[in-house]
Amino acid sequence: MSQEFDPRERQTLGEREASDLPPSLLAEVVAARRPVSLSSQVEARVMAAVRRRAASPRYSAWHWFTAPSVPPWALLAAAAVVLALVLLRPAPVGSPGAASPLAAAAGPESVYVRFILVAPNARQVALAGTFNSWDPAAAPLVRAGAEGTWTVTVALPVGQHQYSFIVDGRRWVPDPAAPAVDDGFGRRNSVVSVSAAQGRVL
Amino acid sequence: MRRSSAFVALVLLCGPGLAAQVGVSARLAGRVPPAVATAVSALVDSARTRGLPGAPLVDKALEGAVKGVPTDRILTAVRTVLEQLDASASAQRAAGSLAPGDDAIEAGAFALAAGLTPADVGAIARSADPTHPTAVALQVAGALAALGVPRAETVGLVRASIRSGQPVGDLVSLPGQVQAAMARGALPAAAAAGLERAAAHQAPQPHGQGKGRDNPHKP
Amino acid sequence: MIQGDRVERTVEPSDGAVVRAVLTGDVEQYAVLVRRYKDRYARYASRMLGSVDAAEDAVQDALIRAYDRLAQCREPENFAGWFFLILRNRCFAERRRDRRSDGLDQARELTAPEVSHAALERAEQVRSLEQALLQLTPEQREVFLLKHVEELSYDEIAARVSTGVPALKMRMHRAYDRLRELLGETR
Repeated sequence: MSQEFDPRERQTLGEREASDLPPSLLAEVVAARRPVSLSSQVEARVMAAVRRRAASPRYSAWHWFTAPSVPPWALLAAAAVVLALVLLRPAPVGSPGAASPLAAAAGPESVYVRFILVAPNARQVALAGTFNSWDPAAAPLVRAGAEGTWTVTVALPVGQHQYSFIVDGRRWVPDPAAPAVDDGFGRRNSVVSVSAAQGRVL
Repeated sequence: MRRSSAFVALVLLCGPGLAAQVGVSARLAGRVPPAVATAVSALVDSARTRGLPGAPLVDKALEGAVKGVPTDRILTAVRTVLEQLDASASAQRAAGSLAPGDDAIEAGAFALAAGLTPADVGAIARSADPTHPTAVALQVAGALAALGVPRAETVGLVRASIRSGQPVGDLVSLPGQVQAAMARGALPAAAAAGLERAAAHQAPQPHGQGKGRDNPHKP
Repeated sequence: MIQGDRVERTVEPSDGAVVRAVLTGDVEQYAVLVRRYKDRYARYASRMLGSVDAAEDAVQDALIRAYDRLAQCREPENFAGWFFLILRNRCFAERRRDRRSDGLDQARELTAPEVSHAALERAEQVRSLEQALLQLTPEQREVFLLKHVEELSYDEIAARVSTGVPALKMRMHRAYDRLRELLGETR
């Protein structure tokens, strides 16, 4: 760091350091320390801008499946984490007997995943899957403002899960944006795959 | 209240095996008809005896009940899951894995449900290595198949990715990459073939040399 | 969103986990970071810019910019420090904008003697420390705020703003001199 002052001033600085804050300013400085809270509107405005960006063509709908801008560190971290993915048996919600001792010892490893369904004529939408024991009441979706979009965010244990949407309490609708497998009952279940480092990978 | 304390007493007296069984009953109680609960508990018991996980059976029963499916169809579906778990475990044992873990068995069952054959499951299990565990490889394979990638391309892509010695994160991201290509208009088979060619261009690791390199647990 | 709220109380994700979740597509999770950090630097921003309204604009802009550039956050676990720098740049840019619209010398950023000259002309209007601070250069105001209002050590300040401690002490030295100048006649 280059010298910005000459050695004679250094001594003056040292003295000033000892006295620290000029005492005449102390009362006002203490008053200036009172915390400042911003209005709750800040969050709403920021998230509105964030959602607009996420919905724009530049951030295409497929971005959140492929995450092309996932930085290299996230992929490198996946190597260590995916080993954990295999070693940990994620505990399904509501099944105390199914968790392995390893999973309990390592603590919950969950990642938030957002599910979206566009259903303009629906009166209610729910999300049911292996992660919530197919309980239609466990994860209701809420309207997300734009033109019949419904959404919910849930914490999913690391691993692979099957799920489906339930529209108006009776119509089982697979996720149009996810791959599907035969459910054994004549319908299709959607598949979601989650890793700790990369979040939703499928 | 009384029922749960009775369960607790049973658990304390009879140990973890019964505790697991009690766990199954607790999950099913009130959510499936009693006949289904009884039958599924017996199937879970049978699965455990054969070293297979029971949770997927319970999941399928709960799913069928919520979907309003008749009892006999629920039980058929649950038996199908058991058969898939069994086939998955057998294929992996035949491929040289002495005691496949629950995750690997379930992942193989998922791959079978998605359209792969036991031979495919075995081929993938054989190509797994410490940095590309079987469960992960089978989950990826099942996901590719669920996207519509044909069997041959699915197995080829997974094996090529593992052989290329790239970090496991690359393997995990394959289904997403195929989805992206499909969003741009590619057919699943072509998308997978393209990714396989890219993986094949990576310098293949001499046998045994690449296996420990990306393992964070090795010094 | 009942399920989400219930889970947030029992599974509290780290900043790094939230950043990763947002980067892989779960955009709604960004609200977790917004809630965590919207007030964290609000006091700093309001004292740097002179009003809570200006601070609100700056924090809002900085949070949106942080989202736009999230993939460039190299240490997701230190989102706080990275976000602070974005906000800091925004505060410094704002002061430059204000100077331009103030009618003072706009050709380049003002140095201390010129501001002091202008401030002396308005000495009778300077009634409080807060107003006096606004007459300092942004760098001087910042070191004063971080040391005495945010109560950081010189080492902590140096780490946040990537400036050496001797240079920071020099800025503080000049800040004290000018505050004395601005407030001396009224005390």
